[in-house]
Amino acid sequence: MKVAYYPGCVAQESGRELDLATRWVCGQLGIELQEFPNFSCCGSGFIDEANETLNVALNARNLAIAERAGLDLMTICSTCQGMLTLANHRLGDPKVRDRVDGALRQIGMEYRGTTKVRHLLDVLLKEVGLETIRSRVRRPLTGLRVGAFYGCHLLRPADEMHSESAEEPHEFEDLIEALGATPVLYRGRVMCCGFPILFVREPTANRIAATQIRDAKAHGAHAMATPCPLCHTSLDAYQNKAEAEVGEKFGMPVFHLPQLVGLALGATSKDLGLPRHLVSTDTALTRIGLIAVPT
Amino acid sequence: MPPELIQAPFEVYRYEPGVDPAPRYSHFTLELPPHTPVLTALLKIRDELDPSLTLRYSCRSAICGSCAMLVNSKSRLACKTQIGPEVARHGKIVIDPMRNLPVLRDLVTEMNGFWDRYRRLEPALRPNPDRPMPVGQPNPMTPEQVDRFMETPRCIACAACYSACPAVEADPEFPGPMALAKLYRFVVDPRDGAPRERLLKIQSEGLWLCLRCHLCTEACPKDVRPSERIRDLKEMANRARDPSEAGSRHSVAFKENIRSKGILDEFKLARQTLNPVQLLESLPQGFKIRAKKPEVTKTPKPIRNLEEVQKLYELLDSSGSEEEAP
Repeated sequence: MKVAYYPGCVAQESGRELDLATRWVCGQLGIELQEFPNFSCCGSGFIDEANETLNVALNARNLAIAERAGLDLMTICSTCQGMLTLANHRLGDPKVRDRVDGALRQIGMEYRGTTKVRHLLDVLLKEVGLETIRSRVRRPLTGLRVGAFYGCHLLRPADEMHSESAEEPHEFEDLIEALGATPVLYRGRVMCCGFPILFVREPTANRIAATQIRDAKAHGAHAMATPCPLCHTSLDAYQNKAEAEVGEKFGMPVFHLPQLVGLALGATSKDLGLPRHLVSTDTALTRIGLIAVPT
Repeated sequence: MPPELIQAPFEVYRYEPGVDPAPRYSHFTLELPPHTPVLTALLKIRDELDPSLTLRYSCRSAICGSCAMLVNSKSRLACKTQIGPEVARHGKIVIDPMRNLPVLRDLVTEMNGFWDRYRRLEPALRPNPDRPMPVGQPNPMTPEQVDRFMETPRCIACAACYSACPAVEADPEFPGPMALAKLYRFVVDPRDGAPRERLLKIQSEGLWLCLRCHLCTEACPKDVRPSERIRDLKEMANRARDPSEAGSRHSVAFKENIRSKGILDEFKLARQTLNPVQLLESLPQGFKIRAKKPEVTKTPKPIRNLEEVQKLYELLDSSGSEEEAP
């Protein structure tokens, strides 16, 4: 299948390993990524808090770009997924729609509302299918216990996100199982990572991240995996700060969703950008036999 | 025809601080119709099996807001949650007291923290000199004015949102979802005389600690949608004055950041949001991240057709910061 690939800002910058892994996995599974260098940022929830109408208009433009190409838009970030879906929803309000349509006309664009916004997770499950993925696994992640960490905006608000089970999702766990790993269920998997206030009050954000990592660890997770690069920033790039804030040591490897898929499909650590992580993923790679047990 | 009965295994949290050495769970299995409310089942346990079980309740009709607790770890009103779907999904029903509030005994929590954070926001109308309210006289509002309250008057102060909120858990300064939804209600009330003062004050009293995780909106049994009203408050607060709080600075800086390139300039955003001291303190972590991810300090290339994005800003964001300020 072919999709309009919406990498989002972070995967093109500090989270480039997510983009790398996405391209590798999609290449293997026949998901064709059409690129649109004219896509803008989704606003990440921050522009929404400064100017709601502007944020809807920016995303209406993004959706119109995919629509013009006749493609569904594929995100690789829970927050992008949330903001673009929310824009589709808010454009159902005639007052918002009028204002946004008027602005789009002035830049020669039209929003019709036919483009679906789909996260990579959804494309993997519904288009590729778990059976196909299972049949493509070359390196089963047997013995690896993985705690999925969904990221708020993939799930909530449930009505707008059309989540089948916002409070008790299972899609990510289903995928983890298909890769041969063992999913770990814990309360934190649907909680917040703290990222939205990382710049506002870092110690509080660090404490929130620590709560979720501790919870995953207490339930026996060897690693966590997330479909959101913002969660990844909070859980991986700031994990040392979270540890310092609560005076504990976690050493928890955190994978981006397509990195975990890539590992099972036979990718190398370098293909997936794993050396770019702040917390070493070696303990997890040792468990799946990708690197030798240190002597 | 009598309804079909199901087996409902209950695990109920029991603890009295200072008396019991540690919390424990009591196990009961009841046979009841699937539509039985959890509260009815708990009262049956108390009346027939264990009279020492302590819980708070009153109306049994989702009006009084007394029986909020965790049902299979989700904040719920026990009277509004049926046992059938819980057993179907979890195979059992685990009952705990609400989170973020200290336990007095079993399922009864001490509510002072919840109310204290609420009272800090001065939740009462302040006289509006432009709109005197003589005693005994009606003070009519237009339907449009009433619409602006949205769903907030439905709130029954059950604290389910407070129990579900990770910001409440992590930071004592955060007022909580219910308190902020109520604050919104006063800010848009045409009879209130101090909406702008309220918006200025809340900026330094925790508004920007909301994580917009929407867990409150999922927990709310009355569909008040607190997270959406907090979003509205943030937008109004941003419009009410030049940003000076870090949270406000961050969202406005983010907006301006995207105006200039269409894509986020991560390093610039940090410089725009953090004050000089914070920026200095963030340097060691910044260097650690940069060692692995050198893009962090690189300026990204602008998106193609950036002028389209800038035109949208011009059309929708040029009318000045006072637009729609209350």
